[in-house]
Amino acid sequence: MECKGSKQGAFFVLEVSGRMDALTSQGFETECMNCLEAGDTRVVADLGGLEYISSAGLRSILSAAKKLKAGGGDLAFCGLSGIVAEVFTVSGFAKLLPVYATREEALARS
Amino acid sequence: MSTPDIQPGTEPGKGPMTTSNSAPTGGNNASSIRFGHGIAFRLSALVLSAVGAIFVVMSTATYFMAREALLKNAEQSARTQAQALVQRIEARLAPISRVPLGLGYELSDGLLDDAGILRRQRQMLLDNPEIFGMAAAFEPFGRHADQEYFAPYTFRAPLGITHTSLGGPAYRYHAMDWYQIPRELKEIIWSEPYFDEGGGNTLMATCSAPFYKGQGRDRRVAGVVTADVSLDWLKRLVASVQVLDTGYAWLITRNGTYVTHPAPGVAFNETIFSRAEENHDPELRRIGQDMIRGGFKLVETTSLHTGKPGFLVYAPLPSTGWSLGVFSPRDELMADVNRLALVSAALGGGGFLLLAGLVAIIAQGITRPLRRLRGAAREVAGGHLDAAMPEVMSRDEVRDLAEAFANMQKSLKDHIRDLTSATASRERIQSELRIASEIQLGILPKTFPPLPGHTEFELYASLTPAREVGGDFYDFFPCGPDCFCFLIGDVSGKGVPAAFYMAVSRTLIKAVAESVAGAGRRRGADRHSAQPGANASESQRRIPNPGHILARANNGLAEDNESCMFVTVFCAVLDFATGEVHYASAGHNPPVLLRAGAAPEYLPTHGDPVAGAMTGVEFTTDTLTLNPGDALVLYTDGVTEAMNPAQELYGEDRLVERLAKMGEMNVRETCQALAEDVHAFADGAEQSDDITMLVLRYNGLNAAASKTDGKN
Repeated sequence: MECKGSKQGAFFVLEVSGRMDALTSQGFETECMNCLEAGDTRVVADLGGLEYISSAGLRSILSAAKKLKAGGGDLAFCGLSGIVAEVFTVSGFAKLLPVYATREEALARS
Repeated sequence: MSTPDIQPGTEPGKGPMTTSNSAPTGGNNASSIRFGHGIAFRLSALVLSAVGAIFVVMSTATYFMAREALLKNAEQSARTQAQALVQRIEARLAPISRVPLGLGYELSDGLLDDAGILRRQRQMLLDNPEIFGMAAAFEPFGRHADQEYFAPYTFRAPLGITHTSLGGPAYRYHAMDWYQIPRELKEIIWSEPYFDEGGGNTLMATCSAPFYKGQGRDRRVAGVVTADVSLDWLKRLVASVQVLDTGYAWLITRNGTYVTHPAPGVAFNETIFSRAEENHDPELRRIGQDMIRGGFKLVETTSLHTGKPGFLVYAPLPSTGWSLGVFSPRDELMADVNRLALVSAALGGGGFLLLAGLVAIIAQGITRPLRRLRGAAREVAGGHLDAAMPEVMSRDEVRDLAEAFANMQKSLKDHIRDLTSATASRERIQSELRIASEIQLGILPKTFPPLPGHTEFELYASLTPAREVGGDFYDFFPCGPDCFCFLIGDVSGKGVPAAFYMAVSRTLIKAVAESVAGAGRRRGADRHSAQPGANASESQRRIPNPGHILARANNGLAEDNESCMFVTVFCAVLDFATGEVHYASAGHNPPVLLRAGAAPEYLPTHGDPVAGAMTGVEFTTDTLTLNPGDALVLYTDGVTEAMNPAQELYGEDRLVERLAKMGEMNVRETCQALAEDVHAFADGAEQSDDITMLVLRYNGLNAAASKTDGKN
């Protein structure tokens, strides 16, 4: 799994690619915590490049989202496709967390 | 390193000195057995080979140089010896030859009368003991006109010196060699030696010198004076010459006749040429030719007399024209050289042996600590980690090695101690995990059929953990009259955390379900009032609502959930009197509905979130009615995400396809067939997730007679 971060307006965009499983998911959580520490509380995770996500990956996402929320920010998602989108739907994460079809929509939210 | 089977002491009698088991001695014993391959041996061999080679080269060079020098010396000494012998002989022969010459001068002067001649002769005999007799032979009619023969002869008779007169018809001395040759050659001539039997019974030679009368052009030969010389002294002299041990000297005349020779019967009987002819020795002939020409030479030849090779020095005796030969055997000449070589070889060999001993001792000394180290290392290798490392006193590489070994031993001990404790702790964890696994599987219901006596439905479930403990679970229990709750869940993550969370989830859900059922019953009994569900009917009211169960369980799980773990749950309640199923899903994989005689289909879900993620989440409850023969297959993603070695997923499509083929199997067979199919699909690939499935088939109220589970 790889995470590439960039500041875009009020948001910090994390481009996630590869596989997010038990071995790698901690990396995503750590990236989000780094954003929080740097003051970027509003994070958009672009999962367009993500090939696979396991339940451990979902746990990391949940954990990161909760911590960002506790820090006064939020964690939104965009670019979901394929099996990742399916996992989000089946697991109900699509209902729990803000998910947008495109990055533009995610960046356009207030 | 050596093989352990010759470790000293392990087999008494195998090695020469297997008396002790202690490390240092053991090392020495082993080394004495294996010395042929040891450093000490190779070091010694190398040094000694080099030294030996140098020694051999030096000895050889010394030998040849010494031989050259000694040989030259020996040659010189042979020449000198021959010359000395010649001089000794000459010292006696030369005065003898002057005696007849002196008488000749006196006769030439014509001062002596006949009696005077006899007196002179007698005097000369008295003066020269070697001279046996003297004659003064005159030319025919040269002394007295009336006497053809006049030759007064004085000689030693047994009773004293006496006189006679030579010549007469019976002895015409003028024709004799002793007279003719000096007369013609006008010089002193020594005759061939002869053995005089009549005169003195001795070896003799005659020295003849001519004398003259007249002066200048008128000078003519007037006669010949002779001296018969006994040569016994010469024979003794030559024979007595000691030439080394087996060397010898000999004389030949100017004709080549042997005068003396150590071999008996050679003197006077043979000439050098006859001897050469007889022995087919052309070299001897050449030597003989040179000798009678008066040559003085050293030649290397082989003695006919002794058969030994050696040096022959020959030199002329000027006064007689004879030639002296001195033969020196080579081996005796070389004796000095050989003795020198022998001595130097003995010294060198002794030194070499001494050096060999020293080198061996030094090499042993150098390698002794190594061998002791080897003994200790063997002990360590054999598992005796506390073996004492030998103290190395020398400040060299061996000491470094010993220190390195000691460090290694210490590291090894530390490492093994760590490893032992790590292994112990791992084994403890393993054992705890085994027990945990038993506990975890133990809390899952395994009574099939779940409600003995009830044939309205049949149910079977199985769970195959990927590891000792996992996060999957299933559960089923009655929850009110004619109501049966069954569920399946999957905790995020794996291992011990998942197992804990699974135990909590399963317990909480069951508690909630039973409490909801109890509340429903109470509400249904007390008030028959409406439940929160919009489409609640009277018969449904007493049925626990899975959505409520999940909502309450979710709130319980999500509170203080620091780890952010969650669980997906599919929870359903069957009213087995009617076949009605109420169900809700918390983010779980959609179950498969197997309608009798129809294709399998996935139950649509609402995408409700997983349980434990956030509080206050609502879960939708759906309802469907099972007809007799219809079945529900609940599973976790361990089934659909099972992977084969090619990293392909088992997948929802394959699941539906397989279930379609299983048709009329009972629930246990369906479960087992599905598990086997997943296992076959994985084809040996490691199972990454728990595989859990639960199959429920509704048989209807009247199914008891027509269809039974038959198994449990």
